[in-house]
Amino acid sequence: MSHFLDRLKFFDKVQSTFADGHGAVTNEDRAWEDAYRLRWQHDKIVRSTHGTNCTGSCSWKIYVKNGLVTWETQQTDYPRTRPDLPNHEPRGCQRGASYSWYLYSANRLKYPMVRGRLLQLWRDARCDQDPVAAWASIVEDKEKARDYKSKRGMGGFVRTTWAEANEIIGAANVYTVKQYGPDRVAGFSPIPAMSMVSYAAGSRYLSLIGGVCMSFYDWYCDLPPSSPQTWGEQTDVPESADWYNSTFLLLWGSNVPQTRTPDAHFYTEVRYKGAKSVVITPDYSEAAKFADIWLNPKQGTDAALAMAMGHVILKEFHVQGKSDYFSRYMRETTDMPFLVLLEPHGKAYRAGRFLRASDLASNAGQQNNAEWKTLAYDELSGKVVVPSGSIGFRWGEQGKWNIEPRNAATGVEVQLALSLIEQRDEVVSVAFPYFGAGGSEHFTRTDHPTVLERNVPVRKLKLADGSSARVATVFDLSVANYGIDRGLGGGNSASSYDEDVPYTPAWQERITGVKRQDVITVARQFAENADKTHGKSMVIIGAAMNHWYHMDMNYRGAINMLMMCGCVGQSGGGWSHYVGQEKLRPQTGWQPLAFALDWHRPPRQMNSTSFFYAHSSQWRYEKLSPAEILSPLADASQYPQTLIDFNVRAERMGWLPSAPQLGVNPLAVVKAAEQANQEPVPYTVAQLNSGDLTLACEDPDNPANFPRNLFVWRSNLLGSSGKGHEYFMKYLLGTQHGIQGKDLGTMNGTKPQEVVWRDPAPEGKLDLLVTLDFRMSTTALYSDIALPTATWYEKNDLNTSDMHPFIHPLSKAVDPAWESRSDWEIYKGIAKSFSECAAGHLGVEKDLVLVPTLHDTPSELGQAIEVKDWRKGEIEPRPGKTMPNMVVVERDYPNTYNKFTSLGPLMTQIGNGGKGIGWNTEREVENLRQLNRPVTGNGQFGGLPRIETDIDAAEVILMLAPETNGEVAVKAWEALSKITGREHSHLAVHREDEKVRFRDLVAQPRKIISSPTWSGLESENVSYNACYTNVHELIPWRTLTGRQQFYQDHPWMRAFGEQLCLYKPPVDTKTIAPLLGKKPNGSKEIVLNFITPHQKWGIHSTYSDNLLMQTLSRGGPIVWISEVDAQKADLKDNDWIEVFNVNGAIVARAVVSQRVPEGMSMMYHAQEKLLNIPGSEVTGLRGGIHNSVTRTCPKPTHMIGGYAQQSYGFNYYGTVGSNRDEFVIVRKMKTIDWLDGTPAQSAS
Amino acid sequence: MIMQTLKILSELLCYPEPDLIEHLPELGDVLDAEGVLADSDRARLKAWMLELGGGDLMALQAEYVALFDRGRALSLHLFEHVHGESRGRGQAMVDLMNLYQAHGFKMSARELPDFIPLFLEYLSRRPADEARELLGEAAHVFSLLKARLEKRCSAYSMVFASLESLASQVGDDQEIRARVAAEPVDDTFEALDRAWAEEPVSFGPGASCVPTGGNTQTVQWVPREKGQVS
Repeated sequence: MSHFLDRLKFFDKVQSTFADGHGAVTNEDRAWEDAYRLRWQHDKIVRSTHGTNCTGSCSWKIYVKNGLVTWETQQTDYPRTRPDLPNHEPRGCQRGASYSWYLYSANRLKYPMVRGRLLQLWRDARCDQDPVAAWASIVEDKEKARDYKSKRGMGGFVRTTWAEANEIIGAANVYTVKQYGPDRVAGFSPIPAMSMVSYAAGSRYLSLIGGVCMSFYDWYCDLPPSSPQTWGEQTDVPESADWYNSTFLLLWGSNVPQTRTPDAHFYTEVRYKGAKSVVITPDYSEAAKFADIWLNPKQGTDAALAMAMGHVILKEFHVQGKSDYFSRYMRETTDMPFLVLLEPHGKAYRAGRFLRASDLASNAGQQNNAEWKTLAYDELSGKVVVPSGSIGFRWGEQGKWNIEPRNAATGVEVQLALSLIEQRDEVVSVAFPYFGAGGSEHFTRTDHPTVLERNVPVRKLKLADGSSARVATVFDLSVANYGIDRGLGGGNSASSYDEDVPYTPAWQERITGVKRQDVITVARQFAENADKTHGKSMVIIGAAMNHWYHMDMNYRGAINMLMMCGCVGQSGGGWSHYVGQEKLRPQTGWQPLAFALDWHRPPRQMNSTSFFYAHSSQWRYEKLSPAEILSPLADASQYPQTLIDFNVRAERMGWLPSAPQLGVNPLAVVKAAEQANQEPVPYTVAQLNSGDLTLACEDPDNPANFPRNLFVWRSNLLGSSGKGHEYFMKYLLGTQHGIQGKDLGTMNGTKPQEVVWRDPAPEGKLDLLVTLDFRMSTTALYSDIALPTATWYEKNDLNTSDMHPFIHPLSKAVDPAWESRSDWEIYKGIAKSFSECAAGHLGVEKDLVLVPTLHDTPSELGQAIEVKDWRKGEIEPRPGKTMPNMVVVERDYPNTYNKFTSLGPLMTQIGNGGKGIGWNTEREVENLRQLNRPVTGNGQFGGLPRIETDIDAAEVILMLAPETNGEVAVKAWEALSKITGREHSHLAVHREDEKVRFRDLVAQPRKIISSPTWSGLESENVSYNACYTNVHELIPWRTLTGRQQFYQDHPWMRAFGEQLCLYKPPVDTKTIAPLLGKKPNGSKEIVLNFITPHQKWGIHSTYSDNLLMQTLSRGGPIVWISEVDAQKADLKDNDWIEVFNVNGAIVARAVVSQRVPEGMSMMYHAQEKLLNIPGSEVTGLRGGIHNSVTRTCPKPTHMIGGYAQQSYGFNYYGTVGSNRDEFVIVRKMKTIDWLDGTPAQSAS
Repeated sequence: MIMQTLKILSELLCYPEPDLIEHLPELGDVLDAEGVLADSDRARLKAWMLELGGGDLMALQAEYVALFDRGRALSLHLFEHVHGESRGRGQAMVDLMNLYQAHGFKMSARELPDFIPLFLEYLSRRPADEARELLGEAAHVFSLLKARLEKRCSAYSMVFASLESLASQVGDDQEIRARVAAEPVDDTFEALDRAWAEEPVSFGPGASCVPTGGNTQTVQWVPREKGQVS
């Protein structure tokens, strides 16, 4: 019988074994699997992200079960990239994944909190007074004020209700506006790109009442001023995917695997494709292991290394003419061919300013802005010509602001000469400053003279006044500056790399410690690769390079290499600085919301570095004299003797903003003008000119000029970013501090001439400090009022980054826990309370607003040739030209809330725009009216689009921004076309119909649309790369010449010797000598450089009080030192050490590691006072934060304004808070006192 | 029979508001009437309540904030001490919420389900036996908080002492005291490592996490390693 019936057609019999006996079938209970299934059960998944401090901008899935967030995982639905490019996923790192427990953590701020002392005073005063009078009765009573201010940071918080907290804040703001002026109310919040609606909530409120929004990017020292200087661009960089298009990656001071974790995969992947990887870091960082070649220069000497590499590249590829591509690129996109006037200097010359059309007879044919048009020598016609595209063409005329190689007057094609060596009239000796012989004693000084004369080929020209002048090209000056011998004779130039002449590879060896052969190899390979690939060499540069006082030299050194090699604006090439700004992609849609431009223009914006330098009285301790940093070629007698004097001059001339602005209440100024029957602006100018009215910056210690109220949100100003922490404590807050030094008054130092010196210095300038946070941060601890805000999973918001081209949301997975509210709701509540408190105190008021000479406005054409100060009678005071612009703004204070919650009429009346172009927005406003619904009722608000909720606010941004509304993008490109005379709208027209809504983003991240706000393209063909549209669409850079600038010709740049890049050693901060050996505890003391890199064990580099992170690290504050230094100071790993100088003291454990080079210490930033910090033996108080040993020290070249690319812009240009030149004394502690009442323990 | 005493202890552990101060006298009467706490405990509690009634409310509030609104050590959220910031906490809270729901209680306050006063309010509406049993599950947290508060000389320790005495099983007092006494050295690597060491995951038959019946997991009251309170 066959087995037909035995054969099963539909089943297989369960076998007891399979796979040749390797597998066995069992039949037991599988219920345990349910545990795993339950583990992953959830009710819903919500898309959100982490919203303040990380550039990652990673989309996350938030799992919610019964209204509770249970866990989070990475989202993996980013739109795909094109073939041959890896996708962006997975984004999100282990630190981000540790975030969700902040929601329910014991560290969470759960209720509105007020310090009990203040609340008691308030309730007592409130019994019989209206809120504003009650506030006045507290702050104007010295005893009462001291009573609550001196307790800041010492606990004593009690819970309060939202109503009560809002009333105190509203009353304080109304009183301050009325009594001192709206510009005495300020707010600090960083990085709007990450949760831009939350940022906008506070800045909208402040802008409506006339308060001051403060910058962060410059203050964090993440702004590289070299970028505005070179490109007229705040910071624009390739997205991380563009690393994959590179074939040579140079990581310079950047720690990609640690700080750019979600992007690091592109770096890993491109190495598999064969890209070369060179890493330059002084320590053996996490990135060093990726290197084919690792160079470790001494920290702070990177500019010397960069100059030596530039020497090799310029010599081999330009002077010796190895690369046609490089020459063409430099000729067409940089200022290298432009002509510079040489000024007699002794027997030689020195490099002066760019030759201008106005220097030549009949303005070289240019009637409009001839002073702002630069010239070059045309090889085709053999004449000096005015090429199109310089800044003079941007304003006052249309169609010629482009970088086509044409003579602007005739339209004829030109070929600009890089060098005049063939066409030279003569060779002259030009003096270049040399700084490498000075600087801090902790760095190698060489014995070269401080002035180096080098021979340069020049042509003679006849100027309009009949005189004769010598001009040289930037290229010829650069070759001389780099010390390259061209056979022109003279000294100080090298024909061999082995000569010890600045800036040869041999010269740098002593300074950096890097072998000359390695420098030559890296430079040569970098350039060879760029030549072969037309620019695919990239420098990924980190804040490590930018946090030095002379950061511009470090950065320009590297930027020069990129420009010499034609890498900027080329796919896979260029300058990749990923520090802090995080790129607010829909910027022009966001600005009206954020700064209430729909209601009032202009807003008040301030550069925080100068603000905190002045108001936390750090200037009173300044020990860096301008004489130490001025060029040996400058006439020092022409310049002030203190840094704050430079700042005051800059404010007076309208270069930098001021806050507060005038020495009196700006509301009172307008009233006084009206009483005098005069127009407010001419009245104020006359008053200032006569000296009857002063600027607040001239007397910052006058109580009338204190910043009285300060809001901090989305930030940890006092626990992290506040350089000169102890000065904040003493002067702004009026509480305990650890300052060890003495001020200039006590030390009999050089006092400022422009600033009133007052003794004793006032303490506790702030009447009210309000912090919004979701945890009890250090800043919240020191605040008068701490408001609990929603976390990143409890609110709706938007996020963008420079690392990837997507916009995606934060969305509300769960309701805000406890009493917390979103930032939008909090400020809405404050606006409401303010409006109510205003009744009877403030009505419709006129406010005189001072505005600096802003970049991307006609005011950027300030003083073209010389610097003249109206206060000194050198020039007429002209608002917007020689002094700040002045505008009268009408504010309807009782209607602040109504304005906050509706989109105002200026959007239809004036329109919108950015970066120097404008467009009509009527259609967008109408669309918003339909989408958000109109405000009901009649009156002035009826019919306006609503901005009631955070989603409404997000829709305003998305609708108005070209990046998220294709129709607007086309309008914006068309507007730019009018100015350039070239057709650009093809860059967006294929996406004209796209309009991104908030709900679209919740569904999936969207790639943004190309707009003229940015210099790169969002395209399916190339990855985003900065300056791409400059190079490929011939849109000028927003600089003086319209090209990338190697040369900086402002008088102050020349005074400090920074026309061309060179090496400047770190400055001497003089913080050690007064303390070294003066407060002995018996331990050996060593002196180390103090470096503060990005946090490794903190979420988003900020939140280090997370238990998971602490567990992975050491459970408290740590400072890394080298094995050699540990031995010198008898230290073992994990010993308690004290780190101190005249600024203050830190207590931490030592991490002794081979990673760290001798002479350097590292403390990851944002290690807060919150956990495991014992008392300091030096101060007797609890140890400080990493900024307890730093002090702000501004640099005059960053104060320049009204000068094309060197004009002020919010977070664009201005003084920066560098801190790496600082040195500290390190020693082992003897006793550990936790200051908790228990006896101190011996450290051993 | 239910225990109003638990409701009173719940109120005493809440942020002190005028409302509470006003009602303190009658709360004392209820404690006496119910008499579930030992006489000595009651006397001490009542003495403290008298003190609360006569003191400066804002000072009391500031003390409460300083103790309970800051940091993990004295967190009034049960699972902070059981699961800390680990992922287990989400599920534990969900399970606890399901427990409330299963017995007809829906959370109305903006609080987490493991907030001790909230938990006590729930228990005060449950039969005494059941309440004692659940109190017993959390007793090790109460003992820990009691010991920590005693170390700070805070009168709030009395509330936790009372809770301990109401629980059907009490943690080993001696052992917990000894551990708390040794706590300052908890910042050593070893201690941190121990506290945070991951339990090896084991699947398959014999794995301990087998849920039995229904889709509600029982609440996990103790940390992964028995007795290991973080």
